[in-house]
Amino acid sequence: MPQSGLEKPGNLSILADAQTGVSEEDARILRGLRAGIEDAYEELIEHYEQPVYSMVYRLLGNQSDACDVVQDVFLKVFRGVHAFRGQSSLRTWIYRIAVNEAHNRRRWFARHCHREVSGEIDGGERGNLLESAPDPGRSPYDYAADSETRARIERALARINPIFSAAVVLRDIENLSYEEIGEILQISLGTVKSRILRGREALRRELTQWPDGGLSQAMAYQ
Amino acid sequence: MMCSSARRRISDYLDGRLRGKEYSRVAAHRESCASCSAEFEQMRSLCSAVGSLSKIPAPASLRTDLRVIASQQRSALVQNHGSRLEGIWRRWRSRLDEFMRPITIPATGGLLSSMLLFGAFGFTIGTATQSVGYDVPVLFADRMDANLVPVELRSSVVLTFSLDSSGRITDYAVRDGSSSFVGNPARLQSNNISLPEFRTVLAMAQPITRDISIEFTPIVFRP
Repeated sequence: MPQSGLEKPGNLSILADAQTGVSEEDARILRGLRAGIEDAYEELIEHYEQPVYSMVYRLLGNQSDACDVVQDVFLKVFRGVHAFRGQSSLRTWIYRIAVNEAHNRRRWFARHCHREVSGEIDGGERGNLLESAPDPGRSPYDYAADSETRARIERALARINPIFSAAVVLRDIENLSYEEIGEILQISLGTVKSRILRGREALRRELTQWPDGGLSQAMAYQ
Repeated sequence: MMCSSARRRISDYLDGRLRGKEYSRVAAHRESCASCSAEFEQMRSLCSAVGSLSKIPAPASLRTDLRVIASQQRSALVQNHGSRLEGIWRRWRSRLDEFMRPITIPATGGLLSSMLLFGAFGFTIGTATQSVGYDVPVLFADRMDANLVPVELRSSVVLTFSLDSSGRITDYAVRDGSSSFVGNPARLQSNNISLPEFRTVLAMAQPITRDISIEFTPIVFRP
């Protein structure tokens, strides 16, 4: 794909950006980043900080790791913006970096700290999930009414295989298409379908293990 | 369709990725099988429940940390690409580029379209009329039928030929001011009067019909 002239600072390009897969808004942000415009950096942070953090948190399960990874993600984005070819959307590219960084962090901890990031009931941190991450958009009453249900679903997500939970998070929470998920995880469309299906089935099995009919309660949340 | 086959397609069905016959078969099986119908409904509720999980809010300190990183990277970019003055110039050029971008494509497209249009058709535009440097057409006749040109040459006479697209005379008329006469070219030919042929004229690359008028003025020589 031919490069836009603005990838090299000093070249003025007045024609439409030649990149495909990138929306006009993303192309504008990329041009600003390459030119060193402060507003472009701020706009990128404004658009992607929250969704990236939310996704990474669900992959890692704790706040401090998620913050470290998000900072690494943005650092890579700022440094790699000149090399970005635009063959995928900006969001897909950033999410791909985020998923890879989260997985690298998990492997590092699994290798060096022998710390289970998933597969155990992290009652302490997970149990305090809602207290440590309040949703400012809801009333205190709403918060108390379904907080337990949300926590159960979150814990179930943390228990299943992270390979499958990543696919479920990207599909059901981030609302990405199968094709976008394939680009982010660097897997085929068939593998995307398989992971989503197996992830949902695993999640359902986790929820049906609640002796008090937690599955019904979780479904009734809807 | 068997239950196992339908359940393998639950995710595709719920995500709207099934089309045509495959969708119809799965939907039909779901309608007919209570067990699979319950499974589908359960999975649908699960997907909705997961989808309703709100975004986990990032701590306020993360925004500050990201801004520090952004500031450091911007500084590094300026250092790597020249002086501060060059950085300011680069940013203003980028802003100018953003300003021009919305009008550049329509303006360029309009200019190119105009050039293409006139370039394609310009060579076809010709004058509908043109002066031709013919000699006065000469009529040869063995004998003259009095009815061919029943006018007396006393004053100016205008002879008008109507030409077809091939330049051949299809009709002629004679006017001597007060009277006019429309002739029959076939009678001229039958009287062995050779009629001239004129050059074709093109307009928009197409030959056209036209009229040619010749005025005859009598000249009196006085000794």
